[in-house]
Amino acid sequence: MADPMKIRASAKEGVTEVKVLMSHEMETGQRKDSSGNLVPAHFITEVTAEHNGKQVLAAQFGTAISKNPYLAFKFKGGAKGDKLAVSWVDSKGDKRSDEVLIG
Amino acid sequence: MSRFSKTLITLAVLASAGSALAEGKYTGVGRGALPAEIHAWDIDVRPDFKGLRPGSGSVAQGEETWEAKCTSCHGSFGESNEVHTPLIGGTTKDDIKTGHVLSLVKGDAPQRTAIMKVATVSTLFDYINRSMPLTAPKSLSNNEVYGLLAYLLNQAEIVPADFVLTDKNIAEAQARMPNRNGMRTDHGMWPGAPATKGGIGNGGKPDTKNTACMSNCKTEVKVASLLPVYAETAHGNLAEQNRSVGPVRGKDTSGKAPVAPAAPSDNAAATKLATDSGCMACHGVANKIVGPGYNEVAAKYKGLADAEAKLAAKVKAGGQGVWGAIPMPPQNQLKDGDIRSLVKWILSGAKAQ
Repeated sequence: MADPMKIRASAKEGVTEVKVLMSHEMETGQRKDSSGNLVPAHFITEVTAEHNGKQVLAAQFGTAISKNPYLAFKFKGGAKGDKLAVSWVDSKGDKRSDEVLIG
Repeated sequence: MSRFSKTLITLAVLASAGSALAEGKYTGVGRGALPAEIHAWDIDVRPDFKGLRPGSGSVAQGEETWEAKCTSCHGSFGESNEVHTPLIGGTTKDDIKTGHVLSLVKGDAPQRTAIMKVATVSTLFDYINRSMPLTAPKSLSNNEVYGLLAYLLNQAEIVPADFVLTDKNIAEAQARMPNRNGMRTDHGMWPGAPATKGGIGNGGKPDTKNTACMSNCKTEVKVASLLPVYAETAHGNLAEQNRSVGPVRGKDTSGKAPVAPAAPSDNAAATKLATDSGCMACHGVANKIVGPGYNEVAAKYKGLADAEAKLAAKVKAGGQGVWGAIPMPPQNQLKDGDIRSLVKWILSGAKAQ
């Protein structure tokens, strides 16, 4: 299991702004290590965000996204104390899901 | 930096203590600094937390201040690489245990973050307190600085999310700084006395040990490596491509370099003499090295009746100023006859054969 995500969600005037910092290697599979061998690809393929169990964001990630990706988005709705969950799946099938309360 | 400002403050305090004397000498000019003024000025915090003002701030309070004043440049999590290099990232739980940041050694982090490099938590406190936010330095209250520092330490996973940083427990945070054992002081960059005499560092001794050669020096410039023969003509004639000023000359790679005849001559003897006597270390035949090239010398003295005698005297006694500031050392070790034949050879064009 990878390191936890850092998530911040704040609701203001009916719009919730979410900022997520994921902790992931995001290897493209094209990089070579010091001995010249290809580093196998290992990257996040899917990211979803759920507000109180209802999906508000679904994204497909690829190799063009940097190591430790940062994602920020806004959605309509959400209030203080609501649950917001962000989860990702990577190319090796690893999963990670983290939940915060909207502040 | 804090060491210097301490010295200044000590001086200021001394000055204020001696102000009675000073006033006697310069009546009506200035006054000693008031204790409150010194207190406002003396904001530096040392690694042993001397100078730290009491206060406290929680991670949650820090987060609030951070979102309001710091996010635009440093990002919500101190991760932003947009304006400055990231503050947070690149450290692991193992680093916090060992006090050495492994990715500094391995070099696998995309860049060095502040938390990877900084060894003392007092530095962070002092820096935030002194110069943040960049647009309004010193505008943060003491407790806000504590809060921001707590928030940053939490983002770096040094302290838990419910941590309240105070002047009492800041030493606990120091004991978990990822790079706390990564700072070396045994080098010359630290000011003051060496470690053996109560200071830090080595007393300002540089770590380079280059010395100028004063005796038994090499008499000849030797070329350490050459372009392989098969590659010589790859870019045409290099001699024609280098600029005509400065010490760098391209080698003639036209493939038509004159083939030297085998028979020795006066010129060959003179060339050998010039090489053996060390002349060639500073003078080139057709170019300037340290001193002028022989072609330049020959051109300058061309047609002068007493050129030979004059030049011979110059070689023997040395000289400075004719060809620039670098002096030519006296060559007393050469026989007069050798000097004459060298001078003759130079004035005749310094031919190899």
